Amino acid sequence: MVSPIIKASGIEKYYGTYRALSDISLEVANGEFLALVGPSGCGKTSLLKILAGFEDLSAGSLVIDGKDMAGIPASARPTRMVFQKLALFPHKTVAQNIGFPLHLAKRPKSEIDTAVRRMLELMHLKESYLNRFPHELSGGEQQRVALARSMVSQPPVLLLDEPMSALDAKLKKSLQAELKHLHRHVGTSFVHVTHDLEEAMMLADRICVMRAGRIVQLGAPSEIYYRPADAFVAGFIGDTNLLPAKVTRVGEGFRFSCEILDCTEPLLSADQVAPGVAAGGDAALMIRPEMLRLLPQGENAECTIVGTVNEYFIRGASIQYRIAAAGTEIVMDIPGTSTLPAKQGDAVRLGLALGDLFAVGA
Amino acid sequence: MRLSTLPLLLLMGLFFVIPLIMTALLSFQGTQYYRLVWTWDLKVWTDVFSQVHYWTIMWRTLVMALICTLLCTVLAIPIAYGMLHRLSRWSDHITLLMVFAFLTDAVLKTFGWVLFLDRSGVLNGTLEAIGFPAASVNVLFTPNATMIGMVYNLLPYTIFTVALSMARIDGDLVLAARDAGASRLRAFVEVTLPLAKPGIWAGAVLVFVLSLGVFLEPKVMGGGTSPLAAELIRQSFETRVNWPLGAALTLVLIVIGAAALTVFGAVALWQARRVAND
Amino acid sequence: MTKSKGIPMFSPNRRTFLQGMGAAGLAGAGLMPRSAQAATSMKFMCWEGYDSPDIIKPFEEANDVSISIDLITDSPGGFAKLAAGAWRDFDVVATDSPWVQRMGPAGIGEFLDDAEFADVYDSFYPQFRAPFEPLNFEGKTTGLPTRWGWVGPTVNTKYDKLESWRSYAPCFDPAYKDKICVLDWGDWPIMPMALYAGIDPYKELDDAELNEIRLVLRALFKNTRAIVGDLSVAQKGLMDGSFRTLIGGGTYCTSALRKDGQKEIMSIVPEPKDGLKQGIIWMEAGGIVKDPVDDAKAKALLRDLTSPEVAVKLAWTEATCNLVPSQKAEALFTDEQKDVLQMDYMWEAWDKSHFHNVAPNIDQMLEIWSQELAAAR
Repeated sequence: MVSPIIKASGIEKYYGTYRALSDISLEVANGEFLALVGPSGCGKTSLLKILAGFEDLSAGSLVIDGKDMAGIPASARPTRMVFQKLALFPHKTVAQNIGFPLHLAKRPKSEIDTAVRRMLELMHLKESYLNRFPHELSGGEQQRVALARSMVSQPPVLLLDEPMSALDAKLKKSLQAELKHLHRHVGTSFVHVTHDLEEAMMLADRICVMRAGRIVQLGAPSEIYYRPADAFVAGFIGDTNLLPAKVTRVGEGFRFSCEILDCTEPLLSADQVAPGVAAGGDAALMIRPEMLRLLPQGENAECTIVGTVNEYFIRGASIQYRIAAAGTEIVMDIPGTSTLPAKQGDAVRLGLALGDLFAVGA
Repeated sequence: MRLSTLPLLLLMGLFFVIPLIMTALLSFQGTQYYRLVWTWDLKVWTDVFSQVHYWTIMWRTLVMALICTLLCTVLAIPIAYGMLHRLSRWSDHITLLMVFAFLTDAVLKTFGWVLFLDRSGVLNGTLEAIGFPAASVNVLFTPNATMIGMVYNLLPYTIFTVALSMARIDGDLVLAARDAGASRLRAFVEVTLPLAKPGIWAGAVLVFVLSLGVFLEPKVMGGGTSPLAAELIRQSFETRVNWPLGAALTLVLIVIGAAALTVFGAVALWQARRVAND
Repeated sequence: MTKSKGIPMFSPNRRTFLQGMGAAGLAGAGLMPRSAQAATSMKFMCWEGYDSPDIIKPFEEANDVSISIDLITDSPGGFAKLAAGAWRDFDVVATDSPWVQRMGPAGIGEFLDDAEFADVYDSFYPQFRAPFEPLNFEGKTTGLPTRWGWVGPTVNTKYDKLESWRSYAPCFDPAYKDKICVLDWGDWPIMPMALYAGIDPYKELDDAELNEIRLVLRALFKNTRAIVGDLSVAQKGLMDGSFRTLIGGGTYCTSALRKDGQKEIMSIVPEPKDGLKQGIIWMEAGGIVKDPVDDAKAKALLRDLTSPEVAVKLAWTEATCNLVPSQKAEALFTDEQKDVLQMDYMWEAWDKSHFHNVAPNIDQMLEIWSQELAAAR
């Protein structure tokens, strides 16, 4: 295997007696897009700052691009940061901002000029912007200038600190697509911090979910989505149904019982159960809303839920139902149709494949 | 003109324009038997423009003010930066001490300096105790002592304005410069310094205006042998009881100050444009 | 004198400081205006010392009057204030005699009838008796003398022999370079230098004579270490030997040091030079400001200030000790006080001195002073 571009082992970070990071070990492969996800205060930004060299680590080691980063200041690291608030220099023009890393590296003027123009093109920025100041650009344009500045010297690692959190939803979507495209195009390793798991899933090759200074789960987006390590990760995105259940080990698999869910054969295979689930203990069955469907009269499914429609929301591509079932509210997303299959107060039956179930620790 | 500016205009008129007009009118009068006589002539102005020594003192005042402004600015930048970034843990204490010193009566502080710098003073005593020859620092009652006093008394103005403007700089901008490969010094030069410019200019202008009017420092620390404009004006009003002359010299000082400020402003503007076009 | 009255360390800002001190002192001594109780309320402009509660309070009680004090911080400034219109508010003033005399030509003073004060004059030394020329304007009396002393070399005998200062010559001796202190007290330092140059500054001067004064000041500034306005700074230098003399000063500067036991410090007057006396007698005087509220009570205050009992108090103050014109007061001084005041030397000093007065060419001399000072460094 090719050696990783970032190798963090056992990183700890203390602020006084407060432990911000504990035992962080992870590797980022060359050219990989890794997303660091977690609620605020989970330590993802601290970790990013440690990678950038803005913060020292209290224990552990960090190797980037084959070099131990101990004692190496931010200015000498093979990383570049895109800041949350962009941190464009207000007194420098767009050209000066983008060319700044090269200017510091004392590259010849002509080379800087060429590089800046290349970045401008890559970021779909107009050439007439070169002599403007950041405040004369729109939010999205500023975003691109910030990206261009951090990419201009072709760093091996790009660190992104929630740079899109301040943008409106539509602009965010289009920039996310562009970022993904950019990553593919330049081949640089990206470490992207976000609190938005949806964004992370869309962009990243792998996602590192953090909570209270620890890594909870590190894996591909589908793994995070379909096989979350625990209820926290499962509930981190969208309206996830987590149904209380009891599981007992039966040979290789698990038998479960759940009041709400009626299954013909309540058995889970070993890979349908998160590692942390204790045999014979309480668990939660995770059902993503889009895995449920409305069962027409007389049709059956491997698992069914009976309930009454509380509310529904027509969202265009999908319709979301909120259904009361045995004292719990179940969320279901079905593909949008012009004729509404069920209305408020209707008694409904929901169906689901046994293979779509996944049990996490309660 | 908006109505809301009226109180300000009234205030300016009352406390600035009207006294200025009165001073101007006073300069066209004469004195006889130590009393003001309403002569309405140009005698005082003829005197002002025919006496070289008034202009020697004015010129000296201007030069001292410019040097003082330069020193205060150059000193304030590292001090303010150090307070904010290197000694940030102590910056509250330092600020408190500075405010305390700043609010202490200027007369007391100035006399303190006399006792400190005197040939038989604290400084020379200390130096002598560690093996230097007696009275090795002979700076008291020289223009250099005046400058020490001026810089000491006016430095807080520049430190506070520069620190204020540095504190308002987004810390991420410095980090961004560091991240882009800049050393601490380079990040300071490329980011902190240009962004602190408004504070630096404000402090410089403030100190310049104040240093044009220094009185205590040349008189007490400078030993009175190199009087500056304020002492000249005091002497005209008090010792010579020649109010029209004092008024005329006051106006000369105001015009010199205003002219210097105009040049200051022009340079600042030119600087800003140059930075923008670079 | 244009001088600060020895408030240590505060002189250059003495205006505001003394006002504060004055107000505090007045409040402390219960001297805030008591117009509600007293029949008359008077305003007295004076130097520090005249405002002593020892002096003012008994007078107030005896005359059913309340006095509010306005302390002078420099004589020309006080005069200028009166001349600018404040004379309407004031009743009595006690300041340097030339400024009392100048109230005559300025038209802001009341003239005194010498006959009315005959008993006061009788209590004075003969030298101060009417007609007392220094306080006369066009033959009319502008005020009564209150305190006096002489201006001449102030010598610390620890560093210099008295004989060395028989003349002002050391001021121009390269050996004394950077050891001369010139007091920044208006005309006071100019007068002795003019005398040393062989010119009587109290006469009308021609251009050649003014030029001589210019040259002597230029030479003086070459040896000058500092021009000092604050008495305590000057006294400190005199004590530690960094100032070998104070030009423009005299008994006024040295008496308080002598009172504190430093008898090695003395004020003398130089020997006459080419027939011209080299010493100067300074004097303070009390005068009545034009249109006082109560003419009789204003005169009573002048009488009070010149009475032997009050004269002794006026002579002996915290900051400076000075001679008084009252001959009757002499018996009230102790031998120690007489020694501090150098009384055994006073008539010798008197004989070798001019009487300080308004110099006709003072404005030109002050102008020359500032011209030479501007060019000095």
